[in-house]
Amino acid sequence: MSPRALAGPEIQRILALVPWIVAHPGSPKQEIALRFGISVDQLDADLGLVLMIGVPPYSPGDYLDVEEDGDGNVSISLADYFRRPLRLSPAEGLALLAAGRALLAVPGSDPAGPLATALAKLEQALELPGFVVDVGEPDQLGAIRTAAADHRRIEIDYWSAGRDELTRRRIDPEVVFFATGAWYVGAYCHQARDQRMFRVDRIRAVRPTDETFEPGTIDLEAGEVYTPRTDDARVTLELEPGAAWVAESYPTEAVTEHPDGSLAITLAVSERAWLERLLLRLGPEARVVAPADLAPLAAEAAQRILGRYRETGSPSSSDPRATRRPDSRARGRA
Amino acid sequence: MPDAPSRVERVLNLLALLLDTRRALTREEIVHDVAGYPPQITAYRRAFERDKETLRAMGVPLLTEPIDDGSETGYRVRPEDYYLPDLDLDAEEAAALRVAVSAVLLGGESGEGALLKLGGLGDEAVAPIASLPIAPALASLFEAFRARAVVRFTHRDRVRTFEPWGLSCKRGRWYVVGFDRDRAAVRAFRADRIEGDVEVGVAGAFETPADFRPDDHVESRAWFLGDDPPVAVRVRVDRDHLETMLAELGSDASVVDGADPDRPVVEVTITNPAAFRSFVLGYLDHAEVLSPPELRADIVAWLERAAAGAR
Repeated sequence: MSPRALAGPEIQRILALVPWIVAHPGSPKQEIALRFGISVDQLDADLGLVLMIGVPPYSPGDYLDVEEDGDGNVSISLADYFRRPLRLSPAEGLALLAAGRALLAVPGSDPAGPLATALAKLEQALELPGFVVDVGEPDQLGAIRTAAADHRRIEIDYWSAGRDELTRRRIDPEVVFFATGAWYVGAYCHQARDQRMFRVDRIRAVRPTDETFEPGTIDLEAGEVYTPRTDDARVTLELEPGAAWVAESYPTEAVTEHPDGSLAITLAVSERAWLERLLLRLGPEARVVAPADLAPLAAEAAQRILGRYRETGSPSSSDPRATRRPDSRARGRA
Repeated sequence: MPDAPSRVERVLNLLALLLDTRRALTREEIVHDVAGYPPQITAYRRAFERDKETLRAMGVPLLTEPIDDGSETGYRVRPEDYYLPDLDLDAEEAAALRVAVSAVLLGGESGEGALLKLGGLGDEAVAPIASLPIAPALASLFEAFRARAVVRFTHRDRVRTFEPWGLSCKRGRWYVVGFDRDRAAVRAFRADRIEGDVEVGVAGAFETPADFRPDDHVESRAWFLGDDPPVAVRVRVDRDHLETMLAELGSDASVVDGADPDRPVVEVTITNPAAFRSFVLGYLDHAEVLSPPELRADIVAWLERAAAGAR
């Protein structure tokens, strides 16, 4: 499609604006402009165009008529063919339904409220029965959202997957949102003395403190799940063609494709355990090429896990010796 | 004398004419009536092509039909195809949809476009609470789903002929759920794994079963997705990770041996051992597969290769 063919936004706005004014004669221009996201000057220009729309034989009565009274209230008449807006495009219908269904799925939404009835009308008009958006509801979501709404400082037990350890932290939860399939809370963390993003399903416990906080100290935006920091290690991986999906699934800083279909990618890696997990899953399909000191990372992690398997041996089911195994987990306090 | 009509003005007049006409009009009739087309034949033909493209890109249902015994092509827009049905939304419902569009990020401006048609934007803007991914195939799948049209697309190097019965967004991924005509079975495909364009067939090609619920068929956990015979797997997991593991495995999993409270044993039935191996390895040294012995041996062999740095 040529870029010129996309001269549509202005046309689409006018096609939406005309039926609304036809249905609401005598509306103030200020209100119309606000409603359609434009300035009053732009509205005047649009209405000037509307005056030029007509049908054959183009005698004076065949043109749309715009009337404005002394107080800046406008009406449009003779707009029979533009009396209704254009139906929703697939992308628009999808956007509206997906947004509505997602918000309705957020725990705490009123399942019989205006959003639910609006969606039911929309789905009926579009004849769409099977449309589902599920955002899940991790255990601690309610407690976190309450704390964020009340600006309540809380103490959490958090399993950091990246570092593979359970930590206890004091946080000021500011924004709670759903992105990339999971719920997150963006907060100021008193242990890190910096803003942090936490996955709500990894929060094991929430204990409110008797302190509140002043919001506005962090600049994490909803949807910004992972922002590479400048001090994160840059790691270059060689990926066999079968592991090429990695380049699509994680934010890469460089991707080089070799003729045989293998890739070299560079990623910002903040947590060692995250990289261990990725490499172990990929097995022979991936290898660290830089930095050199991370090259043995997967082999070391594999050794560590093998240690656990060797200790158990070939178990019948539960081996009593295993219970006495010293706990090697890192249980650091941040 | 006013300036020559702008392109926007020309397209609006073209659309007014096509909606107003009772019979299909030829290109020459249209170009003659609507102000703003250049007089030279090649120039007005090109301009008319562009205008048609603009209308179609906006979603205007432009019909072409043969006229004069098929010697000419006629154009029109049937009002009943063009007009948005009256949704009869009350003020609260319209406001709720506006809140939803500002609270849920979907990429693109389609949500705002929809709101304009439903009566405009408001001042209900709220902080975003969720963002959903958008796969390139999604708009076509949605259109086909709405029109009950059969689609053809490539998924894992195979062309599928598919009746889209529903769309579902689960764990942050979109799935199209429906009837796979080649396999004669209900299936779900991840929309972001569809390669290339989706071919949308004619409307009204199938009926969706009345009691169909897309969610019943969407499985986002890969270890339940394989074609292998179901096998019960036992995993010993460190206590601190038990909750996460149970949450990830879902309601089919249960603790079968809690004799050692620090290292309980979880059982779950799976159909894709390779995917389950990836899942367990995600727990690093906090979990180990106890049985079946074949899966345990497979994981040990996998780890031994990794430990040797074999490639």
